[in-house]
Parts: sequence; C-alpha cells; structure tokens
Amino acid sequence: MRYGKLAPWLFITPTVLGLVFFRIGPIIAAFLASFTSWNVFSPPQWIGASNYVELFNSGTFWMILRNTLVFSLIYVLGVMVCGLFLAILVNNRIRAITFFRGLYYLPVITSTVAIGVVWSWILSPRFGVLPNVLADLGVHNLPSFLGDSRYALLTLVVVYIWKMSGYHMILFLAGLQNIPEEYYEAAKIDGATRWQSLRHITLPLLSSTTFFIGIIALIQSLQSFDITMAMTEGGPNYASATLSFFTYINAFVHFRMGYASAMSFVLLVIVGIITFINFYARKYWVETVD
Amino acid sequence: MKTYGKIALYILLIFVGSLTVFPFLWMVATSFKTMGEVFRIPPSFTSSTLFTERMWDNYRVVLYEHSFLRYVLNSVIVAGSAALGQLFTCSLGGFAFARMKFRGKNIVFGTLLATMMIPVEVTIIPEYLMMLNLGWYNTYFPLIVPSMLVGSFGTFLFRGFFENIPSSIEEAAFIDGANPWQMFYKVFFPNAKPVSASLIIIAFMNNWNDLLRPVIYLESNRLYTATMGLMQFKGAYGAQWHLLLAASVVSVIPLIIVYISLQKYFVSGMLTSGSKG
Repeated sequence: MRYGKLAPWLFITPTVLGLVFFRIGPIIAAFLASFTSWNVFSPPQWIGASNYVELFNSGTFWMILRNTLVFSLIYVLGVMVCGLFLAILVNNRIRAITFFRGLYYLPVITSTVAIGVVWSWILSPRFGVLPNVLADLGVHNLPSFLGDSRYALLTLVVVYIWKMSGYHMILFLAGLQNIPEEYYEAAKIDGATRWQSLRHITLPLLSSTTFFIGIIALIQSLQSFDITMAMTEGGPNYASATLSFFTYINAFVHFRMGYASAMSFVLLVIVGIITFINFYARKYWVETVD
Repeated sequence: MKTYGKIALYILLIFVGSLTVFPFLWMVATSFKTMGEVFRIPPSFTSSTLFTERMWDNYRVVLYEHSFLRYVLNSVIVAGSAALGQLFTCSLGGFAFARMKFRGKNIVFGTLLATMMIPVEVTIIPEYLMMLNLGWYNTYFPLIVPSMLVGSFGTFLFRGFFENIPSSIEEAAFIDGANPWQMFYKVFFPNAKPVSASLIIIAFMNNWNDLLRPVIYLESNRLYTATMGLMQFKGAYGAQWHLLLAASVVSVIPLIIVYISLQKYFVSGMLTSGSKG
C-alpha cells in the first residue's frame, strides 16, 4: 500500500460521485418511481404495481415492444453484415486505404439529427432525390417512406444501419487483423478459393468478435431515441416508435414519470438479459485459435 | 495482388464510398439553392447562386438570423467542458484502478463495469427530477456534470494504458520521494497523451451530438446547442429545405474538421472502447 489509504479514494472521488448520483442512485429511484403515480408537479403517490398492470394491458405498449423487436432484429443483422463487408473491403494493404476507412466512418461521427434531416430530404415524396431517380428508372407510385405507417419503422432502421455500419466496420477490422496471415497462405497453397478461406478460416476465427459485436449492436439498437426523434418523432401514430422513444414521450411530453419509469425498467430488464447471456454464453459459443 | 483484382477493388471501394458520401454532398448542394430551386424537378446538383454574391445567403440567414453561430459556440462550450471534465475524472480513476491497491477497489470497479450498458432512458427520469430540485433546469450543468463524472469507457481506456507502464519508472519516482499526486501528474499522465487525445475527442463528439439532454433540459433558445438548434429548426421551418440543410452543414462542419485533423485518435479510441458511454 505504497500510495497510502487516503490517496486512492481521493483519486476515485469523482468516479464514485458519478456512480452514486448518476447510475446507482437513479436506478434505485427509477425502480421506486415505477410503483408511483407522479406528474412532477405534485408529490408521488404509491400505487403498487398498477403501472406495470396498465403497461401489460396496453395495446400500444405491445405494439411498441414489437416495433422495438423488429428494429433491433433488422438493425443487428444489418450492421453486422454491412460492417463485416466493409471490414473485409478495407482489410487490404493498398494505396489510399486509410482514406476509405476514414470515409466509411464519417456517418458515425455526424450527429443523428443532421443525418435525419438530410435523409428526410432525400426520401421526401415528390421533390426528394431518391423518388425522382426511381421514377426515372420506371418505379412510380412509391409510398411515402416516412409518412406511411407500413414503411416508417423500416426506413428508420435502414438509415440507422447506413449511419452505424462504419462503427462496426472498425470493430470487425480489429478482429480481422488478429487472424494470422499464415492461415490464409496455407489455405492458398492447398488450393482454397477466396470464398472457402472466408467460410472456413475468417468466419470461425472471427466468432468471438462477431459475438461481441452482436451484443454491442443489440444494446445500441435499444437506444434508438435520436434517430426516431430526428426523423419521425415516432409517427405516424406510433408506427415507428420504439421503447426508448416511448419512454421519453411518457416522461417528458405526458409527464407520467411513474409509468415511464416502469417502461424504462422493462428496457433495463431486456438489456440485463442480453448482458447476462453475453457473459455466460461467450465461453461456449466462441471458437479460439488454439 | 494482380492488377485486375486491384482495379476491381478500387471500383468497389469508390462505389461504396459514393453511397457513404452522397448524402453529405447532397446536403451541401441543397444548402446553396434558393427556395424555388429546392422544389424543382428533376433535382440538380448545381444551383444558380454558385460563385455569385448570393452564394452564402442561406448561411447568412441561418448563422445570424436564426442564431446558429451562437448555437455552435454553445456546443463548443458544452462539449469542451464535458470532455475536459471527463479527462480529469477518467485519468484519475484509471490511474487508481491500475496502480493502487485499496479495499473496495473491486466493488467500485465492478459497479462501473456492471452499469456501463445501462440505457440512459432508465436513469434520465430521476436525474431530471434531481436537476429540477437543484435549480439546474435550463442551465448547462445537466449537460456537463453527468457526462463529466461518469465515463466508464474513458476509465477503462486509462486503466489499460497505465497498467502497461513498467513499474521501474514508478520505483524510481518513489525513491525520489514523489507523493501520489506527483506520481500521477508528473510521471504517468504526461505519458498518456494519445489516450487523452482519444478520450477528449470521443467525449467531445458524444456531447456535441447528444440530443436527449438538450431536449429535456434546455428551454431558452439562447442556450441551445447546435444539435438542439437543428432539431428545433426542423420543427419550425420543416419545408424550407435550403435553410434546413444549410443549418445541418453548419452543425456538422466543426466536428468534421476535428475528425479529419485527428482521425487516428478517433479510430484508435473507438477500437479500444467498443462502445460509447
């Protein structure tokens, strides 16, 4: 203990304060609040499990939950396929490759609101560039991508995949670069095609990376507030609203703090289950080099 | 690689690159158009204002009449202070977790790890009520303080870095009579420049782009961040695409400049972090 007893605690004071006031404290408070009726302006009233009962009996809630599931599923598959494709594409030692890596990463650093604005404009019915290009190619009578309740959610998730693929590219790239070059050389000598190398060397050895990225993507997909807010505000008629957006609406538009807290706890339980699966399934699922 | 293969690869790289870059180009192209040109069919990349004295009209309107100049400066203040605060918290915490032995270390570190993935939607409601009670509604404190005190990713980044510094350096400084603060500030921290740069940039970016907290905490227009200003502008002037897209350009340009000049720190930081937060 060469640093003494006091110094370590002084060093972690900011971290501990942050944990107490912005993580642990709020989680406990949110849990308690989920059993109250509370509109901020008057004191909370204890109503037991009523919020949860109301939640599970609400048709809107189940629709939102289904939207969340659809969003997550498409998002996870989308960013993993696109991310891996981009990573393989930029995992070449050729001139200007860092330029392309940087370029593909650009949407990741751009604010979701700005991305939402420009894509809303590109997809805008009649005057948007995409409907016009498609019309030139002979595709007419397109639905309104963001205004039609059948397509709004799908449009959101596709735009979000476009924005986030670069992020998953970087994660996959790190995984790819950990695979020893000799494996590919040996396969080449044995006459393996590029597809066979991908199928039998890259994918198996990438499994721990893939699993990790899947978990990250899943958790990202549950926090889709920004893209929803920026493009559809949950509309039309909640068709594109997901759990994180619906929690926001109930808390900060309807000021139903207790109800929204119950909802956020459903989200927390889902994230908890995913993290738990990640922790335990990892060692069974993952193949390693040895 | 064979020449044909190389050419094919470049064609593919450029094709994918154009899918990435097109929305940005379209953003810029639209931002120079006049109201009438925006609604012209078929849409075109060029506009009549290019290289005339009316070229920057939309930007003038957005920056001065709609206060985006102010919003951008606000964002610099908010994101800059949050990033510096996070640097302070995370470097100290990372140092303690990496080099010091103390009772309760595993509990605190475990808590940091376990709460890393907790969605902000869960903690934001109690946080909001706390901010109301502190009288911090409609100030920058709720945008800066939580983000500067909670940085799981940054703490991991620094912990990993400080763990790999050989202990011989530490021994020498101890023999010279360094106290814990001097050990951190004079010996360890000066070595951590790349890590610090990564953390500052990523924290700056996350705070620049944050939407939820500005939406719920900021009421006065004059306090808006660039992202919040854009959101509000979209609601109020939704059909004026030429102005809206100029505002988008204004709100993303500062970050893109930072990104281009410090690219390697962005990517290495993201690699180490695996997730934002």
